[in-house]
Amino acid sequence: MKNNIDIMSKIVCFSFFLLVFFSCKHHENEYHSITDKIEAESKNYHGTSISSEAYIGDIKTIEITEGGHTFLIPERKSQIKSYACTECHTKPLSQMQSKNLKKAHWDIKLDHANANTMNCITCHDGTNMDHLTSLTGKSIDFNNSYNMCSQCHNKQFEDWKGGAHGKRIGGWAPPRASMTCVNCHNPHKPHFESRWPARFNTQKVKERE
Amino acid sequence: MSNNNKKWFSLNLGRKEKVSSGSCSCGKTSGGCGTSSNSHHMTDDEFAAAAINASIGEERTKDGFEQVFDVKMDRRTAFKKLTASLLIGAGAVSTSCSVISGDESREKSQIDWEEQFKGNYKLMTDEEKQATVDRLVRSYQLRTGKTLSMSSKNAEEDVLFGYAFNISKCQGYMDCVNACVEENNQDRDSQMQYIRIHEMKDGKGFNFNEADDNYYHEVPAEGHFYMGTQCFHCDNPPCVEVCPVQATWREDDGLVVVDYDWCVGCRYCMAACPYDGRRFNWSKPEVPEAEINHNQHYLGNRMRKKGVMEKCTFCVQRSRAGKNPACVEACPTGARIFGNLLDPNSTIRWVLENKKVFRLKEDLGTEPKFWYFMD
Ligand code: SF4
Ligand code: SF4
Repeated sequence: MKNNIDIMSKIVCFSFFLLVFFSCKHHENEYHSITDKIEAESKNYHGTSISSEAYIGDIKTIEITEGGHTFLIPERKSQIKSYACTECHTKPLSQMQSKNLKKAHWDIKLDHANANTMNCITCHDGTNMDHLTSLTGKSIDFNNSYNMCSQCHNKQFEDWKGGAHGKRIGGWAPPRASMTCVNCHNPHKPHFESRWPARFNTQKVKERE
Repeated sequence: MSNNNKKWFSLNLGRKEKVSSGSCSCGKTSGGCGTSSNSHHMTDDEFAAAAINASIGEERTKDGFEQVFDVKMDRRTAFKKLTASLLIGAGAVSTSCSVISGDESREKSQIDWEEQFKGNYKLMTDEEKQATVDRLVRSYQLRTGKTLSMSSKNAEEDVLFGYAFNISKCQGYMDCVNACVEENNQDRDSQMQYIRIHEMKDGKGFNFNEADDNYYHEVPAEGHFYMGTQCFHCDNPPCVEVCPVQATWREDDGLVVVDYDWCVGCRYCMAACPYDGRRFNWSKPEVPEAEINHNQHYLGNRMRKKGVMEKCTFCVQRSRAGKNPACVEACPTGARIFGNLLDPNSTIRWVLENKKVFRLKEDLGTEPKFWYFMD
């Protein structure tokens, strides 16, 4: 009899312990916040089978590594209509600005910063039109034109490297492909135009009358 | 019937591959089951008309709102409504057992029957999910002669979807709204939209009372900023908690989804959502045949019916395949960022760790997986 009571009390004690133990670990309250959860669950992240590679499409890309981030950006030079520029720019610019030569680029109006800060030769090298030129006169490849922009827009550059600025191409999964500066901003006129919204909901107007 | 693993009752209505020839599920071994009584066989159209008449009757001319708030329910109409669903089942039996009706209408009614009495998607095994998806595809093919692809792809391990929205980038163009409507086959009649873009006055914070979500003027307007809302796929979703029939739930990759075939249309979830994330089909959703997106997912953009709840699914048909949601793809400013929160190298993680992010009504503890940030 005494033995039985002993066993019973042991069982009761043990189940009480179990209850206490498990009630502190309700599934939904396992983490304090979503941030804790993300941190904990991504500790053993092994990658997924999902790839976004197929959605990049036939865009020609190049791989770059900037600030510890490696990702793809669209290749630029093949997109410029008559690259290499030196096919027309056979002579230094100063000699080509004469009256009797065929005019080109007349439609480009520079609307980027102001005339004190920028003109054509802030970015273009009049003696070597196939490359861009940095503020200190170092040559920059057209494919890496973000190096041009980042000289002033360094905050945006930081965000772009990490992925907070600049649209992703294709999908969210690796490999990452992001637009580079000039894919969205016309370097001669970098601001976004104002325009009309894509749609107007007439039904909503009726509902709220 | 023979499968013991089934969680619900299903009736085999003379599908050739399952039933030995000459026998019908009603038990007779010769002739159609309908032949003994000289009953008049309705054509499909007649039957549909009768069923609709029994279920909605005079209410056909009213819109969804009037139907709910303006209903005179006497015993006769109540009884009619009750019998309507039975009738659909009975109709399926009668058509499928009939010798007169063709193979196609037999198959159609078999599908109708199985769809009518299938279980909750959440409880289905992968084979059952595949089966219901196959049925829906076949039924669409029988009705329209067109094919569509419908996926039942499950959540992938090590994926938790999250979204970030840059309020200093959004210009209020609403390209995302257009893309969303087209991608997700939303009702064109009622102009349903999952996404709302709110135009807010600078310097007043998030003031939804003074915000306009249906502006039509050149944007961005002077002195205003824009922010978008949609379903935030809360990690602790109150909408899921209140559903009396568990027709809506959180998937393992964090998507909050609705089984449109299990939803009874009570709209509790709509009331429970603190973010205005849910949309209800007050009328039969209409999408012109030419505009239907045929790349579908059971939990996503497949065609809905009247009286069910729907909402943003982060484009489950796209995101589970590795594509960006349609809104992310359509946004010309790059204000929308989407990705896997569990991948330490993902861009969304970089945003959460390096930008000042915040969420709406954080104090509610709903843990939305939709963050806002500024440049
Ligand atoms: S935003 Fe609303 S509908 Fe979406 S998961 Fe949260 S509570 Fe549910
Ligand atoms: S409307 Fe549908 S999903 Fe929402 S609570 Fe009711 S049954 Fe559940």
